[in-house]
Amino acid sequence: MRKIVHIDMDAFYASVEQRDEPSLRGRPVVVAWRGQRSVVCAASYEARTFGVRSAMPAMRAERLCPHAVFLPPDFTRYRAVSRQVHEILARHTSLVEPLSLDEAYLDVTEPKSGLPSATEVARAIRRSIREELRLTASAGVAPNKFLAKIASDWRKPDGLFVIRPHQVMDFLAPLPVGRIPGVGKVMEGKLAAMGISTVGELRAVAAVELEQRFGSQGRRLHELAHGIDESPVQPERPVQSISAEDTFERDQPLEALGPTIRRLAERVWAAAAREPERIGRTVVLKLKTAEFKLLTRSHTPPTPPASAQELVSIALSLCGRVELPERTLYRLVGVGLGNFRDTAPARPQLKLFD
Amino acid sequence: MEFRIATDELKKALYRAQGIVERKTTMPILANVLVNATKSGVTVTAFDLDIGIVSEHPAEVSKPGAVTLSAKYVFDIVQNLPDAQVTLKKLANNYVDISSGSAHFKIVGMAAEEYPKLPKEESAPLVQISGNTLLEMIKKTQFAISSDETRYILNGVYFEPQAGGKVRMVATDGHRLSLIERELTGDFKLKGGVIIPRKGLMELKRLLDEAPDAECHLGFAENSALFKKPGLTMVMRLIDGQFPEYQRVIPKEGEKVVMVPKMSFLESLKRIALLSADKSYAVRIGLEENKLLITANNPDLGEARDVLEVAYRGGDITIGFNARYLTDVLSVMETDEVSFELGDEHSPGVIHAPGDRSFTAVVMPMRV
Repeated sequence: MRKIVHIDMDAFYASVEQRDEPSLRGRPVVVAWRGQRSVVCAASYEARTFGVRSAMPAMRAERLCPHAVFLPPDFTRYRAVSRQVHEILARHTSLVEPLSLDEAYLDVTEPKSGLPSATEVARAIRRSIREELRLTASAGVAPNKFLAKIASDWRKPDGLFVIRPHQVMDFLAPLPVGRIPGVGKVMEGKLAAMGISTVGELRAVAAVELEQRFGSQGRRLHELAHGIDESPVQPERPVQSISAEDTFERDQPLEALGPTIRRLAERVWAAAAREPERIGRTVVLKLKTAEFKLLTRSHTPPTPPASAQELVSIALSLCGRVELPERTLYRLVGVGLGNFRDTAPARPQLKLFD
Repeated sequence: MEFRIATDELKKALYRAQGIVERKTTMPILANVLVNATKSGVTVTAFDLDIGIVSEHPAEVSKPGAVTLSAKYVFDIVQNLPDAQVTLKKLANNYVDISSGSAHFKIVGMAAEEYPKLPKEESAPLVQISGNTLLEMIKKTQFAISSDETRYILNGVYFEPQAGGKVRMVATDGHRLSLIERELTGDFKLKGGVIIPRKGLMELKRLLDEAPDAECHLGFAENSALFKKPGLTMVMRLIDGQFPEYQRVIPKEGEKVVMVPKMSFLESLKRIALLSADKSYAVRIGLEENKLLITANNPDLGEARDVLEVAYRGGDITIGFNARYLTDVLSVMETDEVSFELGDEHSPGVIHAPGDRSFTAVVMPMRV
């Protein structure tokens, strides 16, 4: 039986701001860019009592909590703190899978800190984060990743919750199916139509039936309903794709997107340059129309793009493959570099000219 | 519209359309051909908004008219008709009855009025050219056209009239270049070169291949090219842009020159490239006294080696190449021997017929 810990920093960005600026402590803090369409990156627990949530439009947060302190995000600082958190986690195991700046899975089946149980490891981590970083984290302990993640949320903030193997089935049964990762609004609706709203009810459905209805996703649902999740903790997965996107203040026509595409492509290139041992082969242009229709166009050149300029020009050229009517307006544009491979040993074809 | 036509004539018209009609398009009518029957016969038009052909065919027209039909399906049908004659008759709502012998097809068409209009290029000064020469020029340059769609300018062949009734055609993908100069007498009234897109060039090649000895005319106007031969007119939009300064990258004369038997060189390259790493076709070519060595090695498979006897007395050199770039060139050459010129391991290799640079291929090496 594996022992998995999920660590989730509490209101991470907002907490870092409150820690570093004492005048913000005890006050509602919302981390978000200003703007018509920006969304909340983080909200302090004081702000959450007013109904502010992360990923909510900033405008809405402002209406809900007009006296909150709105701060633009400072990712450089958050990243630095995230690295310090990671250092604490790494004391206990090398099997750490970061999910984002403020979340990570740890496989502590055999912790290198030698602590007797996963619960002790989680306690030690929470203590170190509190004492060394003056921040709080919630932790979930369970036999697999899926349960550990639910557990860390169970006593949030500043909590610890443990799901022991023999408790799994009873713990899951009353939960709404929406708590299962991968079950969104659409799937929830489909399950509701079958008369299923809790994990216990889902468990009563035969695997065959779920698979017939939902394919491989059905099989996965069946497993998760039974508390089964074999997915391993994958430490530092090699980069698969890098992307950047931007939502406009005001919807834009295709021909006005050039400067934004250029800026995004340059940002993607800068991020890709930090991974010199990996090379991205496919350039992706992503567009969302004012009507929320999403479209992507991609191109894999015979030789991977080798400069920011090349990436920019490929991304721009992909606009030519957008076949929507000219009057179409777009609310979002994104540029991505995907299909990353390990850099092959150099055997380049020399060029006649550029 | 109603007419009777030889099945083979209709087949020929539809065959010509196959390369042009667009299957995947936002305009469904571009998958169709426009069939137009007049007193003088029947024309079949295919157009993808960039390239259009109008093919004229004799037919017994009993009722003039026009309709558009799926190029692919009607071609499939016509290839399988039982009789040497076929009758096409437009019914209500653009349905078309296709009858041949005992077989009847009733096919959904679309209104002729919805078919996009081909650009009129009557202003183009037409020059009579030799179909055989143009065909040779296309065959000897097309392989070097870039297939990288982001390098738009290089997705075609540069057509550049020279002084003295000659025309130069150049294609390059940035790694290799192919140049041919031939006599195509006549004044195209062009200020400089124009870029003919790959798809148009391939269609042109197909049309020339049908009957290279037929009387052909080529002309340019605005930003399009016009090609005519008996019973056929082709219009295509040219690539708009500045072709790179190709003369700059063609070396004058290499330091190391070797005459190589063409067939042995070609076969050896194909053989050795089987062992190149990661499908890169990377091979090493070594020149030593009276020897040309070709080697390749693949970390997963092993290695390969071949030797050709050549008359060579320059200095030793080992240089990497994409074997395919070399075989592409050698496959279109007619001479028994070719002149292979090298500088150093970072300079381009040049291939041409001995003593004749009117066809010259330039290939950049690979770092190996």
